[in-house]
Amino acid sequence: MSSVRFLIALWAGKLTRALLRALGRNATYLPGVVALKLCPDFLARVGRPDLIIAVTGTNGKTTVCNLIVELLTACGISALDNRLGSNTAPGIAASLLTGCELSGKCRRRAAVFETDERSSRRLFPFIKPNYVVITNLFRDSIMRNAHPEYIAGIIEGALPTETKLILNGDDLIAACVAPENARAYFGAARLESDVTQCVNIINDMRLCPKCGGELTYEYRRYHHIGRAHCDGCGFRSPEPEYEAAAIDLAARAMTVREGGGEYRYDLISDSLFNAYNELTAIAVMRELGYEHRRIREALDGVSVLRSRYNEERAGGVTVIMQMAKDRNALACSRAFDYISSRPGEKEIILMMNNLHDSKNWSENVCWLYDCDFEFLNRPEITRIVATGPRARDYYYRLLLAGVPEERLRCTDDEREAPSRLEYRSGESVYILYGTDAIKLAYSVRDEAKRLAEVALS
Amino acid sequence: MCNLYGDPANARLLCGAVPGASAAYTALNSRPLFLDGGADIVYIGSMTERGQAMAARALAPYRGGISECVDGGVRFLVTGNALEVFGRYIDCEDGSRIECLGLFDVYAKRDVARRYNGLYLGNYGEIEIVGFTSRFSHLYGDEDGALFETIRGVGRRPGERAEGLRRVNFMASYVLGPLLITNPLFAKELLRDMGAGVTELPFERAAMDAYNARLREFRNPKTGFDYGG
Repeated sequence: MSSVRFLIALWAGKLTRALLRALGRNATYLPGVVALKLCPDFLARVGRPDLIIAVTGTNGKTTVCNLIVELLTACGISALDNRLGSNTAPGIAASLLTGCELSGKCRRRAAVFETDERSSRRLFPFIKPNYVVITNLFRDSIMRNAHPEYIAGIIEGALPTETKLILNGDDLIAACVAPENARAYFGAARLESDVTQCVNIINDMRLCPKCGGELTYEYRRYHHIGRAHCDGCGFRSPEPEYEAAAIDLAARAMTVREGGGEYRYDLISDSLFNAYNELTAIAVMRELGYEHRRIREALDGVSVLRSRYNEERAGGVTVIMQMAKDRNALACSRAFDYISSRPGEKEIILMMNNLHDSKNWSENVCWLYDCDFEFLNRPEITRIVATGPRARDYYYRLLLAGVPEERLRCTDDEREAPSRLEYRSGESVYILYGTDAIKLAYSVRDEAKRLAEVALS
Repeated sequence: MCNLYGDPANARLLCGAVPGASAAYTALNSRPLFLDGGADIVYIGSMTERGQAMAARALAPYRGGISECVDGGVRFLVTGNALEVFGRYIDCEDGSRIECLGLFDVYAKRDVARRYNGLYLGNYGEIEIVGFTSRFSHLYGDEDGALFETIRGVGRRPGERAEGLRRVNFMASYVLGPLLITNPLFAKELLRDMGAGVTELPFERAAMDAYNARLREFRNPKTGFDYGG
């Protein structure tokens, strides 16, 4: 009976997908909803590829997934993925039913799934990934994710014992997940910019996970990312099997050390965060047995998803759109740090506003006080416009961060924000927008470009 | 350790508001500095659930001294789930129990599978309080003294108007915001009670603009308060 139910669910899902595709839709979620509704254990029954790689973690999982899929494609493997859909159970169910025949047998050799951390308990026990990659574990949405220790516990409780973990060894929260599982670590060697004392507000790995004593950081990149040890019990950060060294963001190059060898790679972008993402994808490909030369060739031409970062010139100004996940203090802190480290003068529009929340609710703004707005207190950042439903909260937070009042502007209407900028030749204008404001951000960008051209023509 | 949900900004605001003020931090396994006197206010903020157990264990040897401080009028501000450490115990979803300091006749019931998120609107005397709650547990028991009276949202537990704990100068609340950041009038009242000699908060106009905007949203009957898990 349950097999019949599964087949009905599969066919209903496939039919839903066909209908949605006929209507020009992506069909990356609803077919999964239908299948799971009709057959709650659909994920356990549907045919799965021999190789499943699940990528989870707070930040970078989309980019890492994209990279792995592109690398596999370049190596001749067409992997199933959920890049256009949801990273929860329905999205992955939709992807799996796409890849199987009417009998439920899988047609693909491999799948790469981005998985929401909290959804791992609804996914991992059923799809049984061969590899689970944890990019990092930071604070995310206060409401949904509470804190990284909570998320680490959820992932750990969902992992099949036979799954091999590929973990960020520079992140002791991620590195300590499920110690009984087989694992490989990636990490980046000490950088010139590393420090020993935390300069960030969020610092979630202060105490030794074994004895509770205070950890000593040999170096720290940001937040709890770095290498630490405990003087009390001898616990220390793991040695990475795949270690990025000689990272040169300006020259967009790094070396990956492995087993005594050194392998040169070009970087896909000039941000440290994406260097980590690239290293993660390289570690996965190495675990799959691909040679460094092959991976390097496959990386040629790969770029960061344009919806998350792109820049265009207008007049004498560079207008940059950068997604900064709203409600995510870490992601915004990293974005602020990146912007403040860029050369030249800048103006910024802050519009990470959880627009969805503002329709019926009011955003929980606690995260603004976990976030390092202090990075924006730099003389080269000549103006910051706080805009949208939470404009006043941003404005107050920026003042508390020490940003001089004369550099700040505040407007409720995002479309009005570009008119509050000054547009100086040679400067960069950054538009920081949230995950549900892509369309609005493009419209703000177009207005900023228009005004830059008018101002500097 | 008590550093979740932006709560340390409460302490930073107090330090920034009072010229010459400084903060002294007590490490987890150290004797609390305030037991030796000299603190104008003791602040404890939100922590992880494991952190609650560690804090309750670390503070247990000092229970008598802390109780004397509370009854003797030492000023405390406790926010988020830190208030549960001052109750009798925390009952967890797995059947385990974390013994706490037992200074207040309340206990918490925790279920990490059910996160409660909501907005909060209440009263502190004449002052309207706005903020958020985001937690795995609710508070039960017979303790009388509440800090806030709930207008909309959840108090100590669903259906309960009493929010937080109050005894002499001990003030504890589940409300996040951070509490003093989102409530400049309450922050000023607290500083006045402390005798800090502060007539205006840093960037008070901006703080009041944000407070008034939020108050308008929270008073609006169309604004949803229960965000679910």
